[in-house]
Amino acid sequence: MDQIVGYGGQLATGTLVTIELALASLVIALVLGLLGAWAKLSRSRLAQRLAGAYTTIVRGVPDLVLILLVFFGGQVTINSIGASTGLWGYVDISKFVAGTATIGVIYGAYFTETFRGAILAIPRGQIEAGISCGMSKSLIFRHVIWPQMVRYALPGFTNNWLVQLKATALVSVIGLQDLTYNAFTAGRSTDKLFTFMFAAFVIYLILTAISDVGFRALERHYSRGMPRA
Amino acid sequence: MIRRTFLAIVAAVAVTSPAIAADPLRIGVEGAYPPFSYVEADGTLAGFDIDIANALCAAMDRQCEMVQQEWDGMIPALKAHKFDAIVASMSITEERKRQVDFTNKYYQTPARVVAPKGADFTDTPDGLAGKRLGVQRGTTHQCYAEKMFPKAELVLYGTQEEVFKDLAIGRLDAQLSDSLIAKEGFLDKPEGADFAFLGTDHLDVECYGEGVGIAVRKGDDALREALNKAILKIREDGTYKKIDDKYFPFDIYGD
Repeated sequence: MDQIVGYGGQLATGTLVTIELALASLVIALVLGLLGAWAKLSRSRLAQRLAGAYTTIVRGVPDLVLILLVFFGGQVTINSIGASTGLWGYVDISKFVAGTATIGVIYGAYFTETFRGAILAIPRGQIEAGISCGMSKSLIFRHVIWPQMVRYALPGFTNNWLVQLKATALVSVIGLQDLTYNAFTAGRSTDKLFTFMFAAFVIYLILTAISDVGFRALERHYSRGMPRA
Repeated sequence: MIRRTFLAIVAAVAVTSPAIAADPLRIGVEGAYPPFSYVEADGTLAGFDIDIANALCAAMDRQCEMVQQEWDGMIPALKAHKFDAIVASMSITEERKRQVDFTNKYYQTPARVVAPKGADFTDTPDGLAGKRLGVQRGTTHQCYAEKMFPKAELVLYGTQEEVFKDLAIGRLDAQLSDSLIAKEGFLDKPEGADFAFLGTDHLDVECYGEGVGIAVRKGDDALREALNKAILKIREDGTYKKIDDKYFPFDIYGD
């Protein structure tokens, strides 16, 4: 217990990195998810194919492999391109950027499917009704699609977010000092690995519990006027 | 607008890049392998490897920066230029030599046999004949035990912890492992109270390799030579001994 207090600062900074990483990658994932869903449902064959390739590749490869690929392979690639073209010198991909980008891209693929499913769940007739009333595309999106899409997407969204929050632990392999990394090094340094892993366990549980409360409030908000199941 | 943002990014990358080519020397360390490398409560790095790395930098008269890296990504990070040298208790092995170059060793803890106190056998091929000898599977110790003690009954384990546990409860007559690990992980603990080292140090280039060295990128000969000179220098001027004494009860250089 004394050690937990002693290394408390380490755990706190690690937790902060985990939260920053999760939120920053969530923003990327949301943008990619909305774009992906839009592309998959658009009439353009090219957009459909691109989005299809994106979700197939990203969802078919382990997160860990992608993280290692971006962090190590990405750096080598960028530098060899820079060296052979002479356009730029040595570039260092920071661990935080590599981790955030990779996790954002991975979970963007899952969000794509979540959003696509949610949009498809909206009865087609409602959109047609909007068109026949003379509503513009953006008006239909804002007043018909968005509020219902959010409601349909929320359960899947919550799921994705929880998995994503926990997946941030993977970035400790590239040495980003997140909660898992700091708990592991503190545990190894003090020979109290179990104690520190248990502390990490509790902190992750607190983070997910807090997000659960938040999502329940969102779900209540977007389910106004709907019958309770 | 988009083009301007793009140019700004390119400019930012271009401005930040030259700093890397110059000093300081960046050294990859682990921070999760006490007493060689660990973090203090305030997050600072400490341990034998860290002190040695700092001493080598002082001996080379160079500014150094420690970069903490998780063990599994150590060699990839070196190759990706995340840092220039690895000081992380990395054994010099043939397999690793295919990927990186090594300096001369900066330490090599010998392997030793541990048996119950007052055991009536010796750590020789005939002494251990028919004895149940525990070693960790897939390690340098398995290689050595098979080569040196073919008449012993080898018992293989997944982890070193299991070897110590089975030795403690009497399922093994003896075990072979790194002397330092045996001392800190077993002999110094209550469960190892009735046990002791048996016989002498075991060093064998074929199985145990050439010790623990500093890894640099392939072909980085200038840095490798400078580090070799620095290792010699701190061995001679007593810096090495001072660091060694701080962590270990004996000289772990192993000559």
